[in-house]
Amino acid sequence: MCWNFKALILNQSMNGGSCFNLEIPEERRDHGMGLILLFYLVFYGFLAALFSFTMWVMLQTLNDEVPKYRDQIPSPGLMVFPKPVTALEYTFSRSDPTSYAGYIEDLKKFLKPYTLEEQKNLTVCPDGALFEQKGPVYVACQFPISLLQACSGMNDPDFGYSQGNPCILVKMNRIIGLKPEGVPRIDCVLKNEDIPNVAVYPHNGMIDLKYFPYYGKKLHVGYLQPLVAVQVSFAPNNTGKEVTVECKIDGSANLKSQDDRDKFLGRVTFKITARA
Amino acid sequence: MGLQGKKWTVAPQDQNPSRRPKKGLNKKKMVKRKKQKRNMEELKKEVVMDDHKLTLEELSTKYSVDLTKGHSHQMAREILTRNGPNTLTPPPTTPEWVKFCKQLFGGFSLLLWTGAILCFVAYSIQIYFNEEPAKDNLYLSIVLSVVVIITGCFSYYQEAKSSRIMESFKNMVPQQALVIREGEKMQINVQEVVLGDLVEIKGGDRVPADLRLISAQGCKVDNSSLTGESEPQTRSPDFTHENPLETRNICFFSTNCVEGTARGIVIATGDSTVMGRIASLTSGLAVGQTPIAAEIQHFIHLITMVAVFLGVTFFVLSLLLGYGWLEAIIFLIGIIVANVPEGLLATVTVCLTLTAKRMARKNCLVKNLEAVETLGSTSTICSDKTGTLTQNRMTVAHMWFDMTVYEADTTEEQTGKTFAKSSDTWFILAQIAGLCNRADFKANQEILPIAQRATTGDASESALLKFVEQSYSSVAEMREKNPKVAEIPFNSTNKYQMSIHLREDSSQTHVLMMKGAPERILEFCSTFLLNGQEYPMNDEMKEAFQKAYLELGGLGERVLGFCFLNLPSSFSKGFPFNTDEINFPMDNLCFVGLISMIDPPRAAVPDAVSKCRSAGIKVIMVTGDHPITAKAIAKGVGIISEGTEMAEEVAARLKIPISKVDASAAKAIVVHGTELKDLQSQQLDQILQNHTEIVFARTSPQQKLIIVEGCQRLGAIVAVTGDGVNDSPALKKADIGIAMGISGSDVSKQAADMILLDDNFASIVTGVEEGRLIFDNLKKSIMYTLTSNIPEITPFLMFIILGIPLPLGTITILCIDLGTDMVPAISLAYESAESDIMKRLPRNPKTDNLVNHRLIGVAYGQIGMIQALAGFFTYFVILAENGFRPVDLLGIRLYWEDKYLNDLEDSYGQQWTYEQRKVVEFTCQTAFFVTIVVVQWADLIISKTRRNSAFQQGMRNKVLIFGILEETLLAAFLSYTPGMDVALRMYPLKITWWLCAIPYSILIFIYDEIRKLLIRQHPGGWVERETYY
Repeated sequence: MCWNFKALILNQSMNGGSCFNLEIPEERRDHGMGLILLFYLVFYGFLAALFSFTMWVMLQTLNDEVPKYRDQIPSPGLMVFPKPVTALEYTFSRSDPTSYAGYIEDLKKFLKPYTLEEQKNLTVCPDGALFEQKGPVYVACQFPISLLQACSGMNDPDFGYSQGNPCILVKMNRIIGLKPEGVPRIDCVLKNEDIPNVAVYPHNGMIDLKYFPYYGKKLHVGYLQPLVAVQVSFAPNNTGKEVTVECKIDGSANLKSQDDRDKFLGRVTFKITARA
Repeated sequence: MGLQGKKWTVAPQDQNPSRRPKKGLNKKKMVKRKKQKRNMEELKKEVVMDDHKLTLEELSTKYSVDLTKGHSHQMAREILTRNGPNTLTPPPTTPEWVKFCKQLFGGFSLLLWTGAILCFVAYSIQIYFNEEPAKDNLYLSIVLSVVVIITGCFSYYQEAKSSRIMESFKNMVPQQALVIREGEKMQINVQEVVLGDLVEIKGGDRVPADLRLISAQGCKVDNSSLTGESEPQTRSPDFTHENPLETRNICFFSTNCVEGTARGIVIATGDSTVMGRIASLTSGLAVGQTPIAAEIQHFIHLITMVAVFLGVTFFVLSLLLGYGWLEAIIFLIGIIVANVPEGLLATVTVCLTLTAKRMARKNCLVKNLEAVETLGSTSTICSDKTGTLTQNRMTVAHMWFDMTVYEADTTEEQTGKTFAKSSDTWFILAQIAGLCNRADFKANQEILPIAQRATTGDASESALLKFVEQSYSSVAEMREKNPKVAEIPFNSTNKYQMSIHLREDSSQTHVLMMKGAPERILEFCSTFLLNGQEYPMNDEMKEAFQKAYLELGGLGERVLGFCFLNLPSSFSKGFPFNTDEINFPMDNLCFVGLISMIDPPRAAVPDAVSKCRSAGIKVIMVTGDHPITAKAIAKGVGIISEGTEMAEEVAARLKIPISKVDASAAKAIVVHGTELKDLQSQQLDQILQNHTEIVFARTSPQQKLIIVEGCQRLGAIVAVTGDGVNDSPALKKADIGIAMGISGSDVSKQAADMILLDDNFASIVTGVEEGRLIFDNLKKSIMYTLTSNIPEITPFLMFIILGIPLPLGTITILCIDLGTDMVPAISLAYESAESDIMKRLPRNPKTDNLVNHRLIGVAYGQIGMIQALAGFFTYFVILAENGFRPVDLLGIRLYWEDKYLNDLEDSYGQQWTYEQRKVVEFTCQTAFFVTIVVVQWADLIISKTRRNSAFQQGMRNKVLIFGILEETLLAAFLSYTPGMDVALRMYPLKITWWLCAIPYSILIFIYDEIRKLLIRQHPGGWVERETYY
């Protein structure tokens, strides 16, 4: 077939009727393949070098201390501790210590930097005002864990779980340079507000302004975020009760807590189920 | 669009090796196939009939009919119910919904459907195992289906539009026939004519069935639609030839009776007529895949291979990386689907449509979109002669008088040379030609040029009439001054025509004028005219006459001799001339000269043929006409070029017998139909291979088909032109059948893929040019479209292996494929050719593919990779500038995607909620999208050319410039329009992020310019072999 076609072409007295020769000599094929591989090796090597170079140039333009743009996080989100495995749903049973051992473990781990020994090198800052610093050395303010009162873990190593009054810590995300206005506090309410009570520590869920602004991981070594603890009290006879707690930032004009899409912007909602 | 080609029943005689026999057909089908095979083989054979050999008595017995009274009404009714009506079974028409489904599920669409189904499967899996899955796969599945459906509707609409133009060609007037039944003449519908009916036809009628004549008066029929012979044929009751197609006593169904009357017995009706057999043969023929459909299929194979390879590789890789089976399967499907170029189907359809429109403006109407490209791939054109290569109008070509051959003007516009019009001999010749002539102009045509006026009478007489009118004087006046007093019309036995006219001068005497077959005319003559003087006939003159006669006859021209005699004064005005018992002298006439006529080639044809030649296309003439005429026209138009010898000529030159001539020495050959009949297919292959210039003469419809099949067997892509019914099987079998819009019969138009609206062979050249251009430009379009596939797939791959946030999402991919890439890809269809595409060989369908591994290599391996890097660069820039440095991103995927992890820490210690980081991610995806648009600018410019530098090609393509602007504006629109964050999750970008891709754009341009420079500077070198697509 192939040769027939070639004959046809050649007979048309035209040269170049190429007939694909299926039998490429073994050496030539190896040679050809090798050359292609070499070409792609060199080509991709060159591309990799070029890419690395442009990346390097880009990284040079970055500041080590502060990201170039902070407009994507103008307002902080809220997050809770301990963090349940899935979703924000806590389930525990006061009679079964294993059901909340994980939570306690988590809380202890989280509160480790807040112990007195860890905080002893930190500065005691004036309350109630922004603690702006000029550098070059930036100091971190102490956060006395006793502020968390019943949830500090100092008196109750079970954080209230064994009594059916579980503690959940709420914290505000760190954002470099964020200066809250007004008197920010975290306000927690129960969605189904009948029986169980909710308490927040420090009093009123206050967040002191002295912890702001934050100067970034590199400059602001040892920075501690202010915490707010939420304690829900389940009555002893109230087993199998499920409550939904909603906490949100209040009292500050520039900290948003209403966003249609972002359910964690300045607020957090979680569910606690106390089983028998 | 139905890129799958025309899928008709696979005829068993199909030798195409690419068609594998389908296995698993049930028995019934096999039997049916066998039966069909036998029928088809039978139809391909020559017509066998013996009715023309029978005597009238035998005929009367055979059809049990009285040859004077015809059938009884009773009998006719019986036969009608037995044999059915006298109509052709219409070819099976495809129902509209089947056509629509073909558009929906053919070829390329199938790929998209597969993608849609896979996506849906992936979505179902996700829904089954995860109550709240991302809807991306569902959207993708819907979008893919919508794209296929819209494109399907579009191409269905396009084709329906061209078939509507086809409909308008149909002649719906019901035909009547005059039959004699029970001795009475009666007009009945043609459908009611039955076997054995006694039928009368007259000039202007269409023959109602195959007839065996029993009597005829000056009957001539035009068999051109059946045999391709341009001249009307005389019909008489005499059996003159073994071959039923050549014998005089048979008239064929649906040919036209030009003049005279005849009476005959119907010997076949409907599908069993010769015409009916051809029609059945045509509709039973299998049609192969169009070249572009084969190319698309090849392309799909390549793409599928790449997709499956990538998919499986990353499936294994993701399993090794510790992903679950389910996730790995979702990845597998995702990667395979990501390889589907969603927009390409629409792009190809639009490109082909644009070309089809352009061709329609140049008088090539394409019935089937895919056929647009076929002409470009054509390597052999089998052209009909009459009407396509010639003007289909007998014209005086030469004269011989005063011992000299004069050339007449045969051009369509009458702009040619003149001749010795001052000779006295010419005056007399012109008078005889004008007076001894029964043709006349039809009324009310004074405004038309003489050559275009309609006439009554046969072709030669009309030619003479027009010629005299043009070069001498008004024939009507001449006839008025010289009234005809007696006449003997032409018939096939005496072979001359004689008329006696009153002389113009006052002598009141008569002149006898005669014209006819030259050798017959010479017999009547004893003197001859030279420069107006009469000389006695001598041997010298006779020799000169013979020479001239042979010379003109050798040119394939029909030669007529002319002579006259001034009758003595005894035959004065009022003499009762009697032509039955001749009462006047009819010997010792004076010979005047010869006039020869031919159906001359169209003016544009020689040029077109030579263009085909230089484009590497072999032009073969296949005609029903006589070899000498065919050869003359072939020489006239350059199908047999000057200086090319035929075997006979080689033999004559070397003085050896023809049988000893080396087959390779003779490049040209004229093959007679009767020789062809006895040839084995190998011998035909030999002829087709060994000769570059071939003319097939006296071919039957079946033989045309065999010739086409022979060419296809040798791997050629064959175009066939034709207008007659006899051409339709070949038209259908050809890779592209080209019918004539003006002179073509309905059957031929039905069978063809393309219609030349101006019947001009030269339009084919335009078609070839457009076809080749679109093939090149489709390559460029595909190159452009495929390139962006890599920056679309790699983000997903990196998402899997590096565990980084997804750099490009499904929606943005669709925005590229169906949005920004569309107009630029289509604009490449407007790109002008890089070099003279008519100066290169037709592409080799086996090696020169639309999409080959080199194109994939350049698009995927080289340009696409640079584009992907550009995209990733932008992506990393945005994340880094927002706080996530590249190093910290590796493996972040699990945390990043966790909806309940709302304090994800960045490289600076800041904490992000899920939604906040998603906004950054989508901003990155928007930027990646914009980056692809920016690098596609460069890709578009480099795709403009495959060999030349972009600087050589220039930026003259305005549509392309519009395309660049359009894609940029669209990208900006998608990014900056308020509300897009909700609708498509696309976010506004900072201006600097647009610029990240610029260096990579420049790199693409420089890289490809260097590549093309190397291709140009080292033809056949490594770069060309590995990267020239």
